[in-house]
Amino acid sequence: MEETKKMTRADKKALKEKMKHLKSGKLEKRDGRMGYFFMIPWFIGVAVFLAYPLGTSIWYSVNNIRSTPQGLLTTFVGTGNFSNILLQDPDFLVELVDYVTSTILSVPIIVVFALIIAMMLNMKIKAKGFFRLIFFLPVIIVSGPILGMLTEEGAGSISAIDMNALTTAISGVLPKMLADPISDLFNNMITTLWYSGVQILIFLSGLQKIDKSMYEAAKIDGGSGWECFWKITLPNIKPLILLNVVYTVIFISSNSQNPIIGLIQSSMLSGTKERGYGYAAAMAWLYTVVVLLIVGLFALLLMTRKGAYEKQVKKAKKAKKQEARNRKKIERRNARNAKRIERQRAKGKITSRTTSREDY
Amino acid sequence: MKKKILALVLAALMLMSVLAACNNGDGGGSGSGATTVSNEYEEVEINGWKYKKATDMTTENITLSVHSFDQQQVDELLAKRFMEIYPNIKVTVSYAAVGDDYTNALAAMVQNKTTPDVIMYSDADYALSNGLLLDISSFYNSDNETKNLADTVNSAGLGTFNLDGGQRYGVPFKFFPGIVFIDRNVLKTLNISIPNQQWSWSDMIDIIKQATGHTDIDGMKYYGLGWYNRLDSYYGVATGQDVIGEFGFNGKTFDVTKWAVGKQEFADLLVGDYAAPQRETDANEAWTGDWELWFGQTGHVAVFSEAFWTFQSSWNAPAFLEANPGLDIVPYVIPAVSEADAGAAHHSIATIDYGGVSSGTKYPREAYELLKFMSFGIDGWHTRNEIFADPNNVNASGVPLKNDVMPVPITKDQTIWDEYIKLYCEGMDEEHTQLWRDYFASCMQPISYGWTNIAGYWNFCDEYFNKVDIHTQTETGAAKAADFIDEINRQANYYHAKAMIDYFGPNSIYKVLTEDETKFYQDIVTAFES
Repeated sequence: MEETKKMTRADKKALKEKMKHLKSGKLEKRDGRMGYFFMIPWFIGVAVFLAYPLGTSIWYSVNNIRSTPQGLLTTFVGTGNFSNILLQDPDFLVELVDYVTSTILSVPIIVVFALIIAMMLNMKIKAKGFFRLIFFLPVIIVSGPILGMLTEEGAGSISAIDMNALTTAISGVLPKMLADPISDLFNNMITTLWYSGVQILIFLSGLQKIDKSMYEAAKIDGGSGWECFWKITLPNIKPLILLNVVYTVIFISSNSQNPIIGLIQSSMLSGTKERGYGYAAAMAWLYTVVVLLIVGLFALLLMTRKGAYEKQVKKAKKAKKQEARNRKKIERRNARNAKRIERQRAKGKITSRTTSREDY
Repeated sequence: MKKKILALVLAALMLMSVLAACNNGDGGGSGSGATTVSNEYEEVEINGWKYKKATDMTTENITLSVHSFDQQQVDELLAKRFMEIYPNIKVTVSYAAVGDDYTNALAAMVQNKTTPDVIMYSDADYALSNGLLLDISSFYNSDNETKNLADTVNSAGLGTFNLDGGQRYGVPFKFFPGIVFIDRNVLKTLNISIPNQQWSWSDMIDIIKQATGHTDIDGMKYYGLGWYNRLDSYYGVATGQDVIGEFGFNGKTFDVTKWAVGKQEFADLLVGDYAAPQRETDANEAWTGDWELWFGQTGHVAVFSEAFWTFQSSWNAPAFLEANPGLDIVPYVIPAVSEADAGAAHHSIATIDYGGVSSGTKYPREAYELLKFMSFGIDGWHTRNEIFADPNNVNASGVPLKNDVMPVPITKDQTIWDEYIKLYCEGMDEEHTQLWRDYFASCMQPISYGWTNIAGYWNFCDEYFNKVDIHTQTETGAAKAADFIDEINRQANYYHAKAMIDYFGPNSIYKVLTEDETKFYQDIVTAFES
């Protein structure tokens, strides 16, 4: 039987060098090729539908563009489009402020509503599947044009609320800048809540993954439902809150009901010389920056901080690593000492006695 | 293994579809190359009508495309008939509802270099700023049929943008004349004399005022006016024969002084409660007991400023007539302000959508012929009448096309008009048929709404007029129309002058302004900016 030989550092290095020059087998090569082949549609998709339009829109934003049957007529204007939008276009800044205020107000409402509905759907109720379908249905049905028609018919607001009285009351207490978006929010409450279908599903999947034994243990220790929510449910679905907030911000920002989207579109099709595709592209980029800032703001607020348990685990892992390092250190020292004793014995410095720890 | 093959096939299909989408489908060919219309035709008989097939068209197999917001089924049937006359020409029709959807679709086609050969447009600014339209003046001016169109098409230069060089970029494609309806039963009940077609503006206002304020036996109030179109839009054009566009446009500049008189008069009627409440308002519910009821159905409104198309699509439908036997709605031409103009045929505002030939077409002569067939041409109009006469031709909702959208011929050809009036007045008694005949004879001096026919007008409305919301300010009594005259003139003239320079000036796509024109418009721009 061949004796298993431990590889030295030099052996490992030699093997690594050998592996470098080793040619792959046919099977491995074919697998590699297939991998790349299946990735081609994705690469094409990204190149054609993401990278190219993204690059083009950046180029457009610094040009004045006219789209004629003979091709695009471009005139480089540098930052002209941006300065026109920021300094001369009163609509954009007004709409932008409205958008920021309404987004910051409506995102928490949508996410909290989604969480409440998800928790209710996660309970033991009859016809659970039916109710899930009901809450997800608006996502499928309420696409742009249909939503527009429903909103026009007044289906977006709660008819039982006297909006005039509410608007007057809000305007009496808050400054106009805040009163208008809050009134709008109440006016479109149904629409806002319709936006929560996907978020409900995400929360639901998170809730279903929470280990039931944690609730059982908490109940044995006398924990109430309220305490279970704050100590078990919420910490477990915390990462999903951020995910849902980001999703909601992006959804609201790219929704066809959003007035800024309408503004960008009308600028794109405007006959005014200064406007057109270039102007609209610059507007879209400015808008993108603002959307990213809002996402960043929410991310800063909700980014999961490491819990006490995770901290302990990390500390224990660190201690374990340290212990392993110490053990190796001792082993190396023992080995060094053993060699030294051997050398001394060979020189006759150590004679009859068997070496023991006391000799050192 | 099967899974792998399936995945491979799907991946390959996806790749092919992506590549196929990038193909712009160039058909090749060059057309007849004719730059004028020879007016030489050969006859092609279809369904008993002798169509004039132009002999100066190409004999190659070509494809022409049309992008339209006219009635979809009508366009498709027109295209089909055109292909029967010219079997070597294939016509494809793309349709989108007027507005952003239409312009978006057009913009996408232009950017993909698949600009249709024939384009409808309602927003002239978008079409001009992107150089979409070809100058078709050489075809139009040499075409004998264009001499017999509604008077103002040539006299007011509808579709020309009033350039000194005589260029023409569009022709009226879809024409709905301006109209005022009167419910004769209301006038009879209130013992107000019924006007004739030569009525004047003051006659109309008198009727509105006389009819307002009465109540019936149940206490329901009568109103003189029910409005859809604002009367000031009518008034602005009805002020004189020198006005060839909204806001007192004379071909070069605006002067809203006279328009402001009409605006104030209309605002006073609203403030003075001479106008019936609009649908879906609390006032309407309080008046009629029904939130949604249209004022005309009450039999308590004398004069309506409704759109032309409403009569055929709603009020002349058998179900409406049966449900509302107490109404007797008859047509009147929009009255002229001066008595002298009122006694004769005169300018009146009309809804006209335009069509043009794409500047990117490879077949200008053929595209012009198709444009003519689908818009003002005699053969095209005979085909339209044939389409409308067949009740089996229905829209997507199953409504006969005659009751969906039935525009008015822009040609004055008597044969076409006889066919049209017979069709339009089908089922009416002789008295009502005569009233319609008189109306049609009086409405053939149409003037377009500004955004279709005046460069810069759309931008002026979008960026100034609607933002200031002059309508609301005056109609609520918050301001007087006269307060805005100077600023509207300044802004409207600036937007127009700037647009003329941008679209037609020396640094534009078209480059057709003369030096005098350039200086004229530049002076206006400079004065405004300084």
